Parts: sequence; structure tokens; C-alpha cells
Amino acid sequence: MIERYSVDFEIPEDLKMVQSLVRDFVHDQLRPLERDLLGRAAGLKDARAYLPPETDEKLMNMATDIGLWGLSVPEELGGMGLSTLGNCLAEEELAQTIVPFTFGDVTPILFECNAEQKDRYFLPHFHRRRQAYIALLEPQDGANLPAMQTMAVKVNGDYVISGRKMSFSRVGDDHFAIVFAATPGVGSGATCFLVEKGMPGFTVAGGEEGVGWRTQVKPALSLAFADCRVPAQSILGEPGAAFQLGKKWLPARRLVRGARCVGVGQRLLEEAKAHVESWQSYGEHLSRRPGIESALADIAVSIHACRLVVHEAAWKADSSMNIKREAAMVKLFATQMIRTVADRVSHVFNGPPYIQGLPLQRLCSDAVATNAVDLALELQSGIIAGDIMKGLKV
Amino acid sequence: MPQRIQVDVKEIEAVLNEILSTKFPPVARCRLLSSGFSPGHALNITENIAGHKECIGCGNCIDICPALAREPHRRDKTEQRTSMALETLVGEDCDLCYACSLVCPQVDTTIKHYIVNCRLVEVMSRLAQRIGDDQEPDLDLFLEEAIDAY
Repeated sequence: MIERYSVDFEIPEDLKMVQSLVRDFVHDQLRPLERDLLGRAAGLKDARAYLPPETDEKLMNMATDIGLWGLSVPEELGGMGLSTLGNCLAEEELAQTIVPFTFGDVTPILFECNAEQKDRYFLPHFHRRRQAYIALLEPQDGANLPAMQTMAVKVNGDYVISGRKMSFSRVGDDHFAIVFAATPGVGSGATCFLVEKGMPGFTVAGGEEGVGWRTQVKPALSLAFADCRVPAQSILGEPGAAFQLGKKWLPARRLVRGARCVGVGQRLLEEAKAHVESWQSYGEHLSRRPGIESALADIAVSIHACRLVVHEAAWKADSSMNIKREAAMVKLFATQMIRTVADRVSHVFNGPPYIQGLPLQRLCSDAVATNAVDLALELQSGIIAGDIMKGLKV
Repeated sequence: MPQRIQVDVKEIEAVLNEILSTKFPPVARCRLLSSGFSPGHALNITENIAGHKECIGCGNCIDICPALAREPHRRDKTEQRTSMALETLVGEDCDLCYACSLVCPQVDTTIKHYIVNCRLVEVMSRLAQRIGDDQEPDLDLFLEEAIDAY
């Protein structure tokens, strides 16, 4: 007799509990704050990009009390060390609101801190006492990392950094910078430094939080390093190995971003459903119109397909398999999915989703901005095509 | 310009595969397996060279070779632009991309079709391995972190 095996799509009970906790937190605590962020005044002049610090702190304490703070941070660093699938489930729920709040999310680049750096930089950032500015992009060459112009030269055991950087991190009174600088002749040619606020030669400008319509634009911080001398102990990881940092965790982050797109899609569907239920034309609910039905079905199918792709990749990541190709597929598909969903939602709303004052606008722009850089998508296509040429059967 | 009736690849498939799998510029041996000059050549000579298989020294193979493009100083060793010069300059550093055979005017179209249809897919995966090493860091992941920073 042939034994029959079945594919198990069931989410483990413990992860279901985390998902349920996050869902309740988002519904009860975050969603009521959306109107404050989107603005109440005429012309939405009081719209904000971020919550006030005291509200942020209150939410953080609440999340800590219910055990949600540090979901994505490894246990050895004081976090919950949730699996990739767990993180995807949590992010999917968290993405269903426009409120910019994370459960103590820290870039995996900082997971490589040594004991001293952990106390000085990682833990204060994890507990939101210090802000970390990721200084990777440059105003001249933008995302062309191999052409990085910020240089770090070794002088008497210290390093002297000179150049300009851009950062999209949130502004904080107390901060430090994670600086990627070229160190020719050392390793692969780039080294990562942790530079303290107030170091001679290190200045920060810009990044003022926009209000009103300016909340649509994420302000860039301008970081200048004019012969900024830092000790060799400031190096994060090994000299010349900046792009080897966090490689154990970074590919899985791409899956979590895919899960975010799923969450955004889910919320857009919810908004579209509420819209078609409440509007009538020619004496009939919009939901009965074939064009609307088709749009809703398209959205639902796209979300479901993307969720399956994300969950399968997350399962592979948790089974310690190489997920380079799966992560590329998730990024490619999730980005296309969110574009399709935004497009179909605009059909339902009979206009572009960029209507100020509605959550749609921020949901769409945030989701698309994170993933959709066409060049980046081409890179993902290249990874997948490369595997096909090596004999991948899908 | 090869003859109208060109070599049937089925007859030479085994030896052709051997040539194409050997890490050495295959153009000269592909040329020798081809049908040779057509009687309708455009060279201004009276001698009947129909069927002759010599290299005409057009230099196409030298120009297209990726190994020589990566290391142009190798070209300084000789001014010759024949397939023999290519073999000397590249030798076992050949990428096996078969570009030299594809651009050679003396290689039969039947052989070129065989290379494109039956061999090039394999080559692309080998070249892709060289270009996209799995151990190479994915810089895009760092860009995502920078753009998506909270």
C-alpha cells in the first residue's frame, strides 16, 4: 500500500498566539491613532509622519509588558528570537496600519556588535534611547555602492573618515551612525564604523519631520564627515568586511518585507470592501457590479498567492535552507503584487489611491517605496534566471 | 564564406562535442570541421580555393574573446589576428563562451546552429557562476536596510 503524505499548511499554535497578540495590539492600540497621523484639520495641515515621543514610549512599554518587544532580535541579544515565519506573521499584522511602529526592530547589521559595542550602541538603540543612522547611501552616487566615495584612512592606529552620506533613519536627539566607508586594500574594500554623536568632524543636518502634505516625503538626513577620527575599536565586525555583516539574518529580512506587502494588501482589501459596501449606484450596491467583483477577486488572489510564497520561503529559512532564490522571488512577486493591488483598489475607488487623508495613500506609497526600485527588481530577476540556467526546475 | 552544402553536424557530433568541451579556443578546430571556402568567394584571386579551410586572419575571434577583453595586455605578444594567435594568447584560460566560433566567417552555419541550440545554454550557466558567485554579498540587502530604516 502506498503511504500518503500531505503538505502541512497549518501555522504552529505558538505562532498563532503571537499573530493573535499582534493583531489585537494593532486593532486596539495602533489603528485608533491613525486619524491623528493623517490629520484632522481642514487641509490636513496637522498630518504627521511619526507619533509623539510620549505615545511611542507608552506603546513600547505596552508591547514590552505583553512580551512583543524585540520579536526579530535574537535571544542572546535580549530579544524574543522569533522564527522567520513568526516574524512574517507579525509583520503582516503590523503592516495593516499606517502607524509607524515596530516591536523593537533593529537592523541585523548591529547584531554583529562585540560585547562593548553591544552595551554602548546596540542595547540603547534596541530600547529606543538612541537612534541609529544607517549611513550607506551617498548624495553623489546614491545606491552605487562599489563607487562609494566616503573614505576611511588608517592613521596611527585610528581611522580618519571623510565624505558625505545620506540616511533615511528617524531623527533622534541621542544618536550614532553606522558608517560604511571605503578602505582600499583592506579585505573587500569597505569597512563599517560606529561613529558617536558629537565626534569632532561628524555633523548631521536636515531630517526635519514634515507636517501636512510634507509627511508624504521621507526626509533624508545629511551626514558629513570632515576628517572625523575614530578609534579602531569603532569598527563593526572585521576591517574590510562591511558587506559580510549580518549575512546570517539579512536574506530573511527580505521575506519579512514581502510579508509587509501582504499585510498592506490585506488592509487595502479591507478598505475596498468597506467602500463597496457603503456606496450605491443606480440603486445597487457597488459590490454587485461585475467590474468591482473582478477587482476584489484579483486583489484576494494576489494576496493569497503572495502569502503562500512568503510562508514557504520562511519555512525554508527556518529549516536552515539557502533562501537566496526564494527571497528574490518573494521580493519580485510581492512588489508586483502590491502594485497590482494598488491598481485594482484604484478601480474600486474610481480614482487613484493617492487621496490625501485616507490610509490608502500612505499604505501604498510606503509599501511600494520599500521594495520597488526597478533596478533592484532586475537584480532579483537575475538571481532567479541564474538558477534556472543552472538547472532549476520550478 | 562556407559552401552551400555544409557539414552535417550529426556526422561530426561526437568530435565536435569533444572540441567544445575542451578548455581551449574552439574556433580553429570548428573551422577545420567546416566545409571550407565557397567557390563564390569575394577574394580577388584567380586560384581555385573552393573547399580550402585556412584562417583568413579577419581577427573577429581576437576582437570578441572575453578573456582578451579582460586582459588586453595579452594582445601585446603578437600582432597576428589569426585563430592560431588566439589559441596562443588564450590557451587554457578559455571561458568556453564559443563567441570565437560564432563570429568566424569560415565556420559552417550548421555548426553555429548546433552551438547556439545545444551548447550555449550550458555555457551561460557556467558564465553565470563566474559572474554571480553565491559567496558574493548581496549589496541590495544593505540598500533595503538603509532605505527601510526606522
